[in-house]
Amino acid sequence: MSTSVFPAQRFDGQSAEAQHVLLRVEGRSFRVETPDGAVLESEPVRQASVSEAFEHVPRLIRFGSGATLEVEDESGGLARALVQAGLHPSAVVRLQGWWPAVLVALAGLVALIGLAYFKALPVAARWAAFALPARIEERMGEQLLLTLDKHYLKPSRLDQDRRERLTQWFAEGAARVAPGVPYRLEFRSMGKDGVNAFAFPGGIIVMLDGLVEFANSEDATLGVLGHELGHVVHKHVAREVFQSLGVGVLAGLFWGDFSGTAASVPIVLGMLRYSRAFENEADEFSVTFLRASGVSARGLHDFFTRLQQKEERYGVDAIPEFLSSHPPTPQRIERLAREMAREEAAGRK
Amino acid sequence: MSNEVTKGGQPAVSAPLPPGATSERFVFTGSGSEYFRIWVVNVLLTVLTLGVYSAWAKVRKARYFWQNTRLGGHVFDYHGRPVAILRGRIIALVLLAGYTWAFEFSNTAGIVTFVVLCVVGPWLFMRAQQFKLGNTSYRGLRFGFESHPREAYRIVLPILVLWLLPTIIATLTTDETWWGLLASALISMLAVPWMHHRLKAYQHRRACYGDRTFSFVPIRGKFYATYAKGLALVVLGAMAGGFVVTFLNYALRDAYSLLEGLTVEAWLYGIAAGLGVYLLAWPYLAARLQQAVWASTRLREVSFRTRIEASRLSGLVLKNVTLIVLTAGLYWPFAAIALARYRIECMRIYSGVPLGVITAGLHSMPVGAAGEGALDSFGIDLGV
Repeated sequence: MSTSVFPAQRFDGQSAEAQHVLLRVEGRSFRVETPDGAVLESEPVRQASVSEAFEHVPRLIRFGSGATLEVEDESGGLARALVQAGLHPSAVVRLQGWWPAVLVALAGLVALIGLAYFKALPVAARWAAFALPARIEERMGEQLLLTLDKHYLKPSRLDQDRRERLTQWFAEGAARVAPGVPYRLEFRSMGKDGVNAFAFPGGIIVMLDGLVEFANSEDATLGVLGHELGHVVHKHVAREVFQSLGVGVLAGLFWGDFSGTAASVPIVLGMLRYSRAFENEADEFSVTFLRASGVSARGLHDFFTRLQQKEERYGVDAIPEFLSSHPPTPQRIERLAREMAREEAAGRK
Repeated sequence: MSNEVTKGGQPAVSAPLPPGATSERFVFTGSGSEYFRIWVVNVLLTVLTLGVYSAWAKVRKARYFWQNTRLGGHVFDYHGRPVAILRGRIIALVLLAGYTWAFEFSNTAGIVTFVVLCVVGPWLFMRAQQFKLGNTSYRGLRFGFESHPREAYRIVLPILVLWLLPTIIATLTTDETWWGLLASALISMLAVPWMHHRLKAYQHRRACYGDRTFSFVPIRGKFYATYAKGLALVVLGAMAGGFVVTFLNYALRDAYSLLEGLTVEAWLYGIAAGLGVYLLAWPYLAARLQQAVWASTRLREVSFRTRIEASRLSGLVLKNVTLIVLTAGLYWPFAAIALARYRIECMRIYSGVPLGVITAGLHSMPVGAAGEGALDSFGIDLGV
């Protein structure tokens, strides 16, 4: 039976005074003695609680009596004695103590997070969005429209006939490409900046006067409405909500403690990528919608071309793609030009 | 050990220490490369267990940071139980989710959540303090937080109501009463220094170590002055950032953001403002308030000082953020260590009597004292 002796400081848990003692590891037991040999503690190694070994930290040994020992162990002698006494470090401690294992763990971690972000999260969010009861989604949409109506949106100033015409044409197209999908088209205005249209949860589509006027073509407006219907059909809003929740949780896990500013950068960039994927999907739906409605893609194509001219004049295209929530306009124009070529070929037949 | 001077040759305290007096510096021995390994394993296990391990990870991290903190040659220790922390995190997650989503669902759900938060919030805050301090020890004695729930409600409830009020009003009012919203937001903003001071005073006045309670001299005026200067820094930073953004914005003047999504200029403003606050205002506030708070805190004959400086903290934060971005997040554990080292090693204690005399008179809290049950039920990190 081997014995090793280590100088230590003992706190009895009752007073703050430190007492110089000797720690003996005898067989599979600890024995704590005063320098003149009085025994203070005698406990099996497995019953006492021994802290994990850190580079510059004394080992802390807590006994059943409530006393604590601080044992400096720069040489690692106590660590060896503990192993001999049958107290092996846990698997986690051994893993983090060995650099190659840590690097493998790091590689595994990166792979896992990549898998979660690119594969698991979109699938899970999609599932959650379609599993979400329709009533809840409708309530969320109504609440959102109510809030926007209160603070930002004004009633539409388009004339009644034009609105009814657009509504009618849109309904015909929607019945063809998305039969049975509940939606509600609302017209609103939002001052000068309102060249926009939105899709809310529960199928509410808001078209702003500014867009109808800038487009200056019912074909283009219908193309935009088809795009919004794509968001509704694919439940993009609900999916985005669930995905942002997931990305937030992932970033939080990565940095253990939720540090607002630093953790929000990857969330924002991550969300933009998801957002672009959704926009592409909605653009694709818009093409299908126009085709089914018998409306030429030319209107939407010209709309985007004019938009691009504006952008070129003012330099929006200098914004790198990963910082943008929408796909680059040239890419959208090119997609529509292909559709026009297809229309032409079909027309010639 | 006495008559310690700082690098600049200025005495660390205004008067030289009298004979028999003690000064002791906090030392931090943690290392980035060691914590990096702990962090990787922690995160991997947390992801593999879908977050459940995060409570164990939190304990490993807290133990690493506390045990690497030394005062007078002895280390601190952390005793929190992972299961209690897991329970606390589930409670916090439910409350957070409720608060975030309730109003999107309906006004009634939102108001119910608001009431629930007001009812449980102060009590949770008190329990969080009890859990955090009660699970921290030094020289074999535990810290603690001795407060009655009645006091927690008296102190924390007004803060909670004031804090949440603008959100509630914004959601419930219509366009016509925008000035009501503005007024409540303004009141809340003006009250921030008051709220912060109230919480800090509560935390420092009710904290105890062994059988002794800390004391805290109120410094409300100091909080207001510091916040005012911090706000001035934010405005300056925002103006500098705003100048750049306005220039860009002019270039993008009529840019159309088709369909939904944030506009580019809003992004740029957000990034500029965020950086300004993070690099200028936060380090300034954190450094100055820590100096003031610790200078007003005592544990009987022991007083505290921190030499933390806004400019150095700001430089450290800038370095940390830059390296975290450049290394795609891998610098994070090194950054955490560097920040902890700076904050901890700026701290000192002073005492009119030798430390040995103090430690001889310090005993554990009498058995059955308040807050013991709190240690086993659940733990919540509130980051305050």
